Amino acid sequence: MSQPWVSSDQPFRNTHDMFVQHQSRRFSVFNTIPRPSNIKCNLRELRQRIATVKNTQKITEAMKLVAAAKVRRAQEAVVNSRPFSESLIDVLYSINQQAQLEDVDIPLTNIRPVKKVALVVITGERGLCGGFNNFVLRKAEARIAELENLGLDYTVISVGKKGNSYFIRRPKVSVDRFIEGEGFPTAKDSQVIADDVFSLFVSEEVDKVELLYTKFVSLVKSNVVIHTLLPLSAKGEIRDGNGNSVDASEDEFFRLTSKDGKLAVERDKSMGKSDVFYPNMEFEQDPAQILDALMPLYLNNQILRALQESLASELAARMNAMSNATDNAIDLKKSLENVYNRERQSKITNEILEIVAGAEALL
Amino acid sequence: MILNLFVLTPSRIVWDSEVKEIILSITSGQIGALPNHAPIVIAVDIGILRMHLNDQWLTMALMDSFARIGKNEIIILVNDAEKNSDIDPQEAHQSLEIAEAALRKVEGKRKTIKANLAFPQSRTRVETINVI
Repeated sequence: MSQPWVSSDQPFRNTHDMFVQHQSRRFSVFNTIPRPSNIKCNLRELRQRIATVKNTQKITEAMKLVAAAKVRRAQEAVVNSRPFSESLIDVLYSINQQAQLEDVDIPLTNIRPVKKVALVVITGERGLCGGFNNFVLRKAEARIAELENLGLDYTVISVGKKGNSYFIRRPKVSVDRFIEGEGFPTAKDSQVIADDVFSLFVSEEVDKVELLYTKFVSLVKSNVVIHTLLPLSAKGEIRDGNGNSVDASEDEFFRLTSKDGKLAVERDKSMGKSDVFYPNMEFEQDPAQILDALMPLYLNNQILRALQESLASELAARMNAMSNATDNAIDLKKSLENVYNRERQSKITNEILEIVAGAEALL
Repeated sequence: MILNLFVLTPSRIVWDSEVKEIILSITSGQIGALPNHAPIVIAVDIGILRMHLNDQWLTMALMDSFARIGKNEIIILVNDAEKNSDIDPQEAHQSLEIAEAALRKVEGKRKTIKANLAFPQSRTRVETINVI
Protein backbone atom coordinates (compact mmCIF):
# COMPACT_ATOMS: atom_id res chain seq x y z
CA MET A 1 0.00 0.00 0.00
CA SER A 2 2.68 2.43 0.85
CA GLN A 3 4.68 3.57 -2.10
CA PRO A 4 8.43 3.41 -1.70
CA TRP A 5 9.54 6.89 -0.77
CA VAL A 6 12.83 7.31 -2.47
CA SER A 7 15.97 8.81 -0.99
CA SER A 8 14.65 10.45 2.11
CA ASP A 9 16.38 9.61 5.31
CA GLN A 10 14.14 11.68 7.51
CA PRO A 11 12.27 9.45 9.90
CA PHE A 12 8.52 9.84 9.93
CA ARG A 13 7.10 10.56 13.32
CA ASN A 14 3.82 8.98 14.22
CA THR A 15 2.07 10.74 11.41
CA HIS A 16 0.97 7.53 9.77
CA ASP A 17 -2.68 8.44 9.66
CA MET A 18 -2.02 11.87 8.26
CA PHE A 19 0.27 10.33 5.72
CA VAL A 20 -2.34 7.91 4.45
CA GLN A 21 -4.64 10.81 3.92
CA HIS A 22 -2.06 12.64 1.87
CA GLN A 23 -1.08 9.56 -0.05
CA SER A 24 -4.55 8.79 -1.21
CA ARG A 25 -4.89 12.19 -2.72
CA ARG A 26 -1.38 12.01 -4.16
CA PHE A 27 0.01 15.46 -4.62
CA SER A 28 -3.02 17.14 -6.03
CA VAL A 29 -3.66 18.56 -2.59
CA PHE A 30 -0.70 20.83 -3.14
CA ASN A 31 -2.15 22.49 -6.16
CA THR A 32 -4.58 24.63 -4.23
CA ILE A 33 -3.92 26.47 -1.03
CA PRO A 34 -6.69 25.31 1.30
CA ARG A 35 -8.89 27.93 2.82
CA PRO A 36 -8.67 28.20 6.58
CA SER A 37 -12.16 26.80 7.01
CA ASN A 38 -11.01 23.45 5.63
CA ILE A 39 -8.24 23.05 8.12
CA LYS A 40 -8.84 21.22 11.32
CA CYS A 41 -8.91 23.42 14.36
CA ASN A 42 -7.27 21.03 16.72
CA LEU A 43 -3.88 22.38 17.68
CA ARG A 44 -2.15 19.07 17.99
CA GLU A 45 -3.41 17.81 14.69
CA LEU A 46 -2.31 21.02 13.04
CA ARG A 47 1.15 20.58 14.44
CA GLN A 48 1.31 17.04 13.17
CA ARG A 49 0.15 18.12 9.82
CA ILE A 50 2.81 20.79 9.56
CA ALA A 51 5.45 18.19 10.38
CA THR A 52 4.09 15.90 7.69
CA VAL A 53 4.19 18.60 5.08
CA LYS A 54 7.75 19.43 6.05
CA ASN A 55 8.82 15.82 5.59
CA THR A 56 7.04 15.54 2.30
CA GLN A 57 8.75 18.65 1.10
CA LYS A 58 12.15 17.18 1.90
CA ILE A 59 11.28 14.04 -0.03
CA THR A 60 10.12 15.85 -3.11
CA GLU A 61 13.16 18.05 -3.11
CA ALA A 62 15.43 15.01 -2.87
CA MET A 63 13.57 13.33 -5.71
CA LYS A 64 14.01 16.40 -7.82
CA LEU A 65 17.75 16.40 -7.27
CA VAL A 66 17.99 12.70 -8.05
CA ALA A 67 16.05 13.18 -11.26
CA ALA A 68 18.26 16.11 -12.24
CA ALA A 69 21.39 14.01 -11.76
CA LYS A 70 19.91 11.17 -13.79
CA VAL A 71 18.96 13.44 -16.66
CA ARG A 72 22.57 14.34 -17.02
CA ARG A 73 23.53 10.67 -17.15
CA ALA A 74 20.79 9.98 -19.66
CA GLN A 75 22.14 12.68 -21.90
CA GLU A 76 25.61 11.22 -21.57
CA ALA A 77 24.26 7.85 -22.64
CA VAL A 78 22.86 9.45 -25.77
CA VAL A 79 26.21 11.02 -26.49
CA ASN A 80 27.97 7.68 -25.98
CA SER A 81 25.75 6.03 -28.50
CA ARG A 82 26.53 8.59 -31.15
CA PRO A 83 29.73 7.03 -32.56
CA PHE A 84 27.72 3.92 -33.32
CA SER A 85 24.83 5.67 -34.99
CA GLU A 86 27.05 7.95 -36.97
CA SER A 87 29.21 5.13 -38.29
CA LEU A 88 26.15 3.10 -39.08
CA ILE A 89 24.51 5.86 -41.03
CA ASP A 90 27.75 6.67 -42.74
CA VAL A 91 28.09 3.11 -43.93
CA LEU A 92 24.46 2.93 -44.99
CA TYR A 93 24.92 6.07 -46.98
CA SER A 94 28.01 4.86 -48.81
CA ILE A 95 26.45 1.50 -49.54
CA ASN A 96 23.36 3.19 -50.76
CA GLN A 97 25.43 5.27 -53.10
CA GLN A 98 27.06 2.28 -54.58
CA ALA A 99 24.37 -0.30 -54.60
CA GLN A 100 21.31 1.37 -56.08
CA LEU A 101 18.99 0.38 -53.33
CA GLU A 102 15.90 0.35 -55.43
CA ASP A 103 16.84 -2.95 -56.96
CA VAL A 104 17.69 -4.71 -53.77
CA ASP A 105 15.06 -6.64 -51.95
CA ILE A 106 15.35 -6.86 -48.20
CA PRO A 107 12.69 -8.42 -45.99
CA LEU A 108 12.60 -5.45 -43.67
CA THR A 109 11.72 -3.02 -46.40
CA ASN A 110 8.93 -5.19 -47.68
CA ILE A 111 5.93 -2.99 -48.19
CA ARG A 112 2.79 -5.08 -47.98
CA PRO A 113 -0.80 -3.95 -47.90
CA VAL A 114 -1.45 -3.36 -44.24
CA LYS A 115 -3.87 -5.55 -42.36
CA LYS A 116 -2.39 -5.54 -38.91
CA VAL A 117 -0.31 -2.98 -37.10
CA ALA A 118 1.92 -3.46 -34.09
CA LEU A 119 2.23 -0.52 -31.72
CA VAL A 120 5.24 -0.39 -29.44
CA VAL A 121 4.25 1.89 -26.58
CA ILE A 122 7.07 3.15 -24.38
CA THR A 123 6.09 4.36 -20.91
CA GLY A 124 7.96 4.82 -17.69
CA GLU A 125 8.66 2.51 -14.81
CA ARG A 126 7.65 4.71 -11.90
CA GLY A 127 5.13 7.37 -11.24
CA LEU A 128 5.43 10.84 -9.77
CA CYS A 129 6.42 12.27 -13.12
CA GLY A 130 3.52 14.58 -13.82
CA GLY A 131 1.56 13.91 -16.97
CA PHE A 132 4.28 11.94 -18.71
CA ASN A 133 2.77 8.47 -18.77
CA ASN A 134 -0.68 9.86 -19.26
CA PHE A 135 0.27 11.67 -22.45
CA VAL A 136 1.77 8.58 -23.99
CA LEU A 137 -1.18 6.39 -23.08
CA ARG A 138 -3.70 8.90 -24.34
CA LYS A 139 -1.89 9.10 -27.64
CA ALA A 140 -1.83 5.31 -27.79
CA GLU A 141 -5.58 5.23 -27.24
CA ALA A 142 -6.13 7.82 -29.94
CA ARG A 143 -4.01 5.84 -32.37
CA ILE A 144 -5.85 2.63 -31.54
CA ALA A 145 -9.16 4.37 -32.18
CA GLU A 146 -7.81 5.61 -35.52
CA LEU A 147 -6.74 2.13 -36.49
CA GLU A 148 -10.11 0.74 -35.53
CA ASN A 149 -11.80 3.33 -37.68
CA LEU A 150 -9.67 2.32 -40.61
CA GLY A 151 -10.73 -1.24 -40.01
CA LEU A 152 -7.26 -2.49 -39.20
CA ASP A 153 -6.31 -5.05 -36.65
CA TYR A 154 -3.70 -4.12 -34.09
CA THR A 155 -1.57 -5.49 -31.33
CA VAL A 156 0.29 -3.63 -28.64
CA ILE A 157 3.74 -4.25 -27.27
CA SER A 158 3.95 -2.42 -24.00
CA VAL A 159 7.29 -1.35 -22.60
CA GLY A 160 7.41 -0.02 -19.06
CA LYS A 161 5.51 -0.86 -15.88
CA LYS A 162 3.09 2.03 -16.13
CA GLY A 163 1.95 1.04 -19.58
CA ASN A 164 1.78 -2.60 -18.54
CA SER A 165 -0.53 -1.93 -15.61
CA TYR A 166 -2.68 0.27 -17.81
CA PHE A 167 -3.12 -2.29 -20.53
CA ILE A 168 -3.68 -5.12 -18.09
CA ARG A 169 -6.74 -3.30 -16.89
CA ARG A 170 -8.02 -3.02 -20.43
CA PRO A 171 -8.62 -6.52 -21.72
CA LYS A 172 -10.27 -5.17 -24.86
CA VAL A 173 -6.88 -4.15 -26.18
CA SER A 174 -4.89 -7.17 -27.26
CA VAL A 175 -1.43 -6.89 -25.89
CA ASP A 176 1.28 -8.97 -27.35
CA ARG A 177 3.93 -8.75 -24.75
CA PHE A 178 4.94 -6.87 -21.68
CA ILE A 179 8.47 -5.76 -21.30
CA GLU A 180 9.93 -4.16 -18.23
CA GLY A 181 13.33 -2.66 -17.91
CA GLU A 182 15.35 -1.34 -15.03
CA GLY A 183 17.30 1.85 -15.01
CA PHE A 184 19.08 3.03 -18.08
CA PRO A 185 18.22 1.27 -21.32
CA THR A 186 20.99 -0.88 -22.72
CA ALA A 187 21.48 -2.50 -26.06
CA LYS A 188 20.27 -5.76 -24.50
CA ASP A 189 16.91 -4.24 -23.63
CA SER A 190 16.43 -2.82 -27.07
CA GLN A 191 17.54 -6.17 -28.49
CA VAL A 192 14.62 -7.86 -26.77
CA ILE A 193 12.18 -5.45 -28.35
CA ALA A 194 13.97 -5.55 -31.69
CA ASP A 195 13.87 -9.35 -31.81
CA ASP A 196 10.20 -9.36 -31.01
CA VAL A 197 9.37 -6.74 -33.59
CA PHE A 198 11.59 -8.37 -36.18
CA SER A 199 9.98 -11.77 -35.78
CA LEU A 200 6.50 -10.27 -35.84
CA PHE A 201 7.20 -8.45 -39.05
CA VAL A 202 9.13 -11.11 -40.91
CA SER A 203 6.66 -13.86 -40.04
CA GLU A 204 4.03 -11.60 -41.61
CA GLU A 205 1.90 -11.50 -38.51
CA VAL A 206 1.92 -7.75 -38.71
CA ASP A 207 2.52 -5.56 -41.70
CA LYS A 208 3.58 -2.37 -40.01
CA VAL A 209 5.31 -1.57 -36.76
CA GLU A 210 4.97 1.80 -35.12
CA LEU A 211 6.93 3.16 -32.22
CA LEU A 212 5.19 5.47 -29.80
CA TYR A 213 7.50 7.35 -27.46
CA THR A 214 8.26 10.75 -25.99
CA LYS A 215 10.77 12.86 -27.76
CA PHE A 216 12.97 14.96 -25.53
CA VAL A 217 12.88 18.55 -26.70
CA SER A 218 14.18 20.38 -23.66
CA LEU A 219 14.08 20.13 -19.88
CA VAL A 220 10.63 21.64 -19.78
CA LYS A 221 9.17 20.36 -23.01
CA SER A 222 8.70 16.97 -24.61
CA ASN A 223 6.50 15.64 -27.39
CA VAL A 224 4.86 12.30 -27.83
CA VAL A 225 5.55 11.08 -31.34
CA ILE A 226 4.71 8.11 -33.50
CA HIS A 227 7.42 6.72 -35.73
CA THR A 228 7.00 4.04 -38.28
CA LEU A 229 9.71 1.54 -37.48
CA LEU A 230 8.98 -1.12 -40.06
CA PRO A 231 8.87 -1.39 -42.99
CA LEU A 232 11.91 0.78 -43.46
CA SER A 233 10.66 2.84 -46.25
CA ALA A 234 12.71 4.50 -48.89
CA LYS A 235 9.94 6.80 -49.87
CA GLY A 236 6.23 7.16 -49.76
CA GLU A 237 3.59 6.24 -47.29
CA ILE A 238 2.35 2.90 -46.14
CA ARG A 239 -1.00 1.93 -47.46
CA ASP A 240 -3.47 -0.70 -46.51
CA GLY A 241 -5.33 -3.10 -48.76
CA ASN A 242 -7.62 -0.38 -50.04
CA GLY A 243 -4.90 2.08 -50.82
CA ASN A 244 -5.70 4.37 -47.92
CA SER A 245 -2.77 5.75 -46.06
CA VAL A 246 -2.53 4.27 -42.59
CA ASP A 247 0.12 6.55 -41.20
CA ALA A 248 -0.48 8.74 -38.19
CA SER A 249 -0.78 12.34 -39.17
CA GLU A 250 2.54 13.41 -37.75
CA ASP A 251 4.44 10.27 -38.51
CA GLU A 252 8.14 10.53 -39.19
CA PHE A 253 9.93 7.97 -41.24
CA PHE A 254 13.24 6.39 -40.63
CA ARG A 255 14.60 7.02 -44.04
CA LEU A 256 17.13 4.80 -45.66
CA THR A 257 18.02 6.88 -48.62
CA SER A 258 19.18 10.41 -48.86
CA LYS A 259 17.04 13.46 -48.88
CA ASP A 260 18.09 16.29 -51.18
CA GLY A 261 21.32 14.53 -51.85
CA LYS A 262 22.46 14.74 -48.25
CA LEU A 263 21.74 12.16 -45.66
CA ALA A 264 18.99 13.38 -43.35
CA VAL A 265 20.13 12.07 -40.02
CA GLU A 266 17.32 12.51 -37.53
CA ARG A 267 18.15 15.63 -35.62
CA ASP A 268 21.85 15.38 -34.95
CA LYS A 269 23.52 16.15 -38.17
CA SER A 270 27.03 16.22 -36.87
CA MET A 271 29.37 13.79 -38.55
CA GLY A 272 32.06 14.46 -36.00
CA LYS A 273 34.71 12.04 -37.11
CA SER A 274 36.22 13.01 -40.40
CA ASP A 275 35.45 9.80 -42.19
CA VAL A 276 37.34 9.34 -45.33
CA PHE A 277 34.93 8.36 -48.03
CA TYR A 278 36.17 5.28 -49.75
CA PRO A 279 35.02 5.48 -53.35
CA ASN A 280 36.03 1.98 -54.25
CA MET A 281 34.63 0.08 -51.36
CA GLU A 282 34.48 -3.56 -52.20
CA PHE A 283 31.77 -5.79 -50.91
CA GLU A 284 32.73 -9.10 -49.50
CA GLN A 285 29.26 -10.40 -50.04
CA ASP A 286 26.68 -8.99 -52.36
CA PRO A 287 24.90 -5.80 -51.30
CA ALA A 288 21.72 -7.62 -50.37
CA GLN A 289 23.51 -9.65 -47.75
CA ILE A 290 25.36 -6.66 -46.42
CA LEU A 291 22.15 -4.75 -46.05
CA ASP A 292 20.59 -7.79 -44.48
CA ALA A 293 23.20 -7.61 -41.75
CA LEU A 294 22.85 -3.88 -41.36
CA MET A 295 19.10 -3.75 -40.93
CA PRO A 296 18.94 -5.41 -37.51
CA LEU A 297 21.64 -3.05 -36.32
CA TYR A 298 19.72 -0.08 -37.61
CA LEU A 299 16.51 -1.33 -36.06
CA ASN A 300 18.15 -1.91 -32.72
CA ASN A 301 19.71 1.51 -32.83
CA GLN A 302 16.43 3.27 -33.51
CA ILE A 303 14.71 1.44 -30.70
CA LEU A 304 17.52 2.23 -28.30
CA ARG A 305 17.37 5.90 -29.20
CA ALA A 306 13.64 5.91 -28.58
CA LEU A 307 14.14 4.28 -25.19
CA GLN A 308 16.84 6.74 -24.22
CA GLU A 309 14.80 9.74 -25.26
CA SER A 310 11.78 8.42 -23.42
CA LEU A 311 13.84 8.03 -20.29
CA ALA A 312 15.27 11.52 -20.59
CA SER A 313 11.77 12.98 -21.02
CA GLU A 314 10.49 11.02 -18.06
CA LEU A 315 13.29 12.27 -15.85
CA ALA A 316 12.73 15.85 -16.96
CA ALA A 317 9.01 15.51 -16.25
CA ARG A 318 9.74 14.08 -12.83
CA MET A 319 12.11 16.92 -12.10
CA ASN A 320 9.44 19.47 -12.95
CA ALA A 321 6.70 17.68 -11.07
CA MET A 322 8.82 17.35 -7.95
CA SER A 323 9.91 20.95 -8.20
CA ASN A 324 6.27 22.07 -8.32
CA ALA A 325 5.39 19.77 -5.47
CA THR A 326 8.17 21.24 -3.38
CA ASP A 327 7.00 24.78 -4.03
CA ASN A 328 3.44 23.86 -3.20
CA ALA A 329 4.57 22.14 -0.02
CA ILE A 330 6.33 25.30 1.07
CA ASP A 331 3.20 27.37 0.43
CA LEU A 332 1.00 24.91 2.23
CA LYS A 333 3.28 24.86 5.22
CA LYS A 334 3.17 28.64 5.41
CA SER A 335 -0.57 28.81 5.38
CA LEU A 336 -0.83 25.97 7.87
CA GLU A 337 1.55 27.75 10.21
CA ASN A 338 -0.52 30.90 9.93
CA VAL A 339 -3.66 29.07 10.89
CA TYR A 340 -1.82 27.29 13.69
CA ASN A 341 -0.57 30.54 15.12
CA ARG A 342 -3.95 32.13 14.90
CA GLU A 343 -5.49 29.18 16.69
CA ARG A 344 -2.85 29.18 19.34
CA GLN A 345 -3.25 32.89 19.97
CA SER A 346 -7.01 32.71 20.09
CA LYS A 347 -6.76 29.86 22.57
CA ILE A 348 -4.43 31.86 24.77
CA THR A 349 -6.69 34.89 24.49
CA ASN A 350 -9.66 32.81 25.57
CA GLU A 351 -7.79 31.50 28.58
CA ILE A 352 -6.79 35.02 29.55
CA LEU A 353 -10.35 36.22 29.19
CA GLU A 354 -11.62 33.41 31.33
CA ILE A 355 -9.09 34.14 34.02
CA VAL A 356 -9.84 37.85 33.94
CA ALA A 357 -13.59 37.24 34.00
CA GLY A 358 -13.17 34.81 36.84
CA ALA A 359 -11.03 37.25 38.75
CA GLU A 360 -13.58 40.01 38.22
CA ALA A 361 -16.39 37.77 39.37
CA LEU A 362 -14.59 37.22 42.63
CA LEU A 363 -14.09 40.84 43.27
CA MET B 1 52.17 -1.51 -39.07
CA ILE B 2 49.26 -1.69 -36.85
CA LEU B 3 45.57 -1.92 -37.31
CA ASN B 4 43.28 0.43 -35.44
CA LEU B 5 40.32 -1.57 -34.31
CA PHE B 6 37.10 0.00 -33.15
CA VAL B 7 34.31 -2.15 -31.85
CA LEU B 8 31.25 0.02 -31.38
CA THR B 9 28.01 -0.90 -29.70
CA PRO B 10 25.00 1.36 -29.36
CA SER B 11 25.70 1.97 -25.70
CA ARG B 12 29.46 2.32 -25.66
CA ILE B 13 32.75 1.74 -27.40
CA VAL B 14 33.86 -1.73 -26.46
CA TRP B 15 37.31 -1.68 -27.99
CA ASP B 16 39.31 1.08 -29.54
CA SER B 17 42.97 0.30 -29.59
CA GLU B 18 45.48 -1.28 -31.90
CA VAL B 19 45.89 -4.88 -32.83
CA LYS B 20 48.10 -6.76 -35.20
CA GLU B 21 45.56 -8.97 -36.89
CA ILE B 22 41.94 -9.93 -36.60
CA ILE B 23 39.89 -12.91 -37.62
CA LEU B 24 36.18 -12.59 -38.20
CA SER B 25 33.70 -15.28 -38.94
CA ILE B 26 31.27 -14.55 -41.70
CA THR B 27 28.58 -16.49 -43.43
CA SER B 28 30.92 -18.09 -45.89
CA GLY B 29 33.68 -19.02 -43.47
CA GLN B 30 36.32 -17.02 -41.72
CA ILE B 31 38.18 -14.01 -42.89
CA GLY B 32 41.39 -12.58 -41.54
CA ALA B 33 42.65 -9.07 -41.89
CA LEU B 34 46.23 -7.89 -41.66
CA PRO B 35 47.51 -4.34 -41.83
CA ASN B 36 47.11 -2.68 -45.21
CA HIS B 37 44.12 -4.75 -46.12
CA ALA B 38 42.10 -3.47 -49.04
CA PRO B 39 39.05 -1.43 -48.12
CA ILE B 40 36.10 -3.74 -47.87
CA VAL B 41 32.67 -3.98 -46.27
CA ILE B 42 31.65 -7.21 -44.67
CA ALA B 43 28.49 -8.51 -43.08
CA VAL B 44 29.66 -10.49 -40.10
CA ASP B 45 27.78 -13.45 -38.74
CA ILE B 46 27.01 -14.07 -35.08
CA GLY B 47 30.34 -15.49 -34.02
CA ILE B 48 33.74 -14.97 -32.57
CA LEU B 49 36.14 -12.17 -33.22
CA ARG B 50 39.74 -13.05 -32.62
CA MET B 51 42.31 -10.36 -32.11
CA HIS B 52 46.03 -10.77 -32.12
CA LEU B 53 48.03 -8.39 -30.06
CA ASN B 54 51.24 -8.66 -28.08
CA ASP B 55 51.58 -12.31 -29.05
CA GLN B 56 48.27 -13.10 -27.50
CA TRP B 57 44.94 -13.92 -29.01
CA LEU B 58 41.93 -12.32 -27.43
CA THR B 59 38.45 -13.41 -28.26
CA MET B 60 35.21 -11.57 -28.21
CA ALA B 61 31.68 -12.80 -28.83
CA LEU B 62 29.87 -10.67 -31.38
CA MET B 63 26.17 -10.68 -32.04
CA ASP B 64 24.79 -9.37 -35.34
CA SER B 65 27.51 -7.19 -36.67
CA PHE B 66 29.03 -5.48 -39.58
CA ALA B 67 32.62 -4.64 -40.36
CA ARG B 68 34.17 -2.00 -42.49
CA ILE B 69 37.86 -2.21 -43.19
CA GLY B 70 39.49 1.00 -44.26
CA LYS B 71 43.03 2.25 -44.47
CA ASN B 72 44.46 0.34 -41.50
CA GLU B 73 41.30 1.09 -39.65
CA ILE B 74 38.62 -1.45 -38.89
CA ILE B 75 35.25 -0.39 -37.60
CA ILE B 76 32.98 -3.12 -36.34
CA LEU B 77 29.43 -2.11 -35.58
CA VAL B 78 27.74 -4.61 -33.35
CA ASN B 79 24.62 -4.75 -31.26
CA ASP B 80 26.32 -6.47 -28.41
CA ALA B 81 29.84 -7.65 -27.84
CA GLU B 82 31.38 -9.42 -24.89
CA LYS B 83 35.01 -10.06 -24.18
CA ASN B 84 35.74 -13.62 -23.22
CA SER B 85 36.93 -12.46 -19.83
CA ASP B 86 33.54 -10.94 -19.15
CA ILE B 87 31.49 -14.04 -19.80
CA ASP B 88 30.51 -16.26 -16.91
CA PRO B 89 30.90 -19.90 -18.04
CA GLN B 90 28.09 -21.30 -15.92
CA GLU B 91 25.62 -18.74 -17.06
CA ALA B 92 26.63 -19.11 -20.68
CA HIS B 93 26.17 -22.89 -20.57
CA GLN B 94 22.81 -22.50 -18.95
CA SER B 95 21.52 -20.05 -21.48
CA LEU B 96 22.79 -22.33 -24.23
CA GLU B 97 20.77 -25.22 -22.82
CA ILE B 98 17.69 -23.07 -22.55
CA ALA B 99 18.08 -21.86 -26.11
CA GLU B 100 18.58 -25.39 -27.38
CA ALA B 101 15.49 -26.63 -25.59
CA ALA B 102 13.48 -23.72 -26.92
CA LEU B 103 14.66 -24.37 -30.45
CA ARG B 104 13.65 -27.99 -30.30
CA LYS B 105 10.14 -27.57 -29.08
CA VAL B 106 9.24 -24.43 -30.88
CA GLU B 107 6.23 -24.08 -33.08
CA GLY B 108 4.80 -21.39 -35.24
CA LYS B 109 6.73 -19.33 -37.71
CA ARG B 110 7.28 -16.41 -35.47
CA LYS B 111 8.61 -18.32 -32.50
CA THR B 112 10.91 -20.22 -34.82
CA ILE B 113 12.42 -16.99 -36.00
CA LYS B 114 12.92 -15.84 -32.47
CA ALA B 115 14.49 -19.09 -31.35
CA ASN B 116 16.71 -19.00 -34.37
CA LEU B 117 17.95 -15.64 -33.26
CA ALA B 118 18.61 -16.68 -29.70
CA PHE B 119 20.34 -19.96 -30.28
CA PRO B 120 23.44 -18.83 -32.19
CA GLN B 121 23.90 -16.04 -29.70
CA SER B 122 24.20 -18.38 -26.75
CA ARG B 123 26.29 -20.81 -28.72
CA THR B 124 28.75 -18.08 -29.60
CA ARG B 125 29.15 -17.07 -26.02
CA VAL B 126 29.95 -20.61 -25.00
CA GLU B 127 32.40 -21.00 -27.85
CA THR B 128 34.16 -17.81 -26.89
CA ILE B 129 35.01 -19.18 -23.50
CA ASN B 130 36.13 -22.49 -24.85
CA VAL B 131 38.49 -21.04 -27.42
CA ILE B 132 41.97 -20.52 -26.17
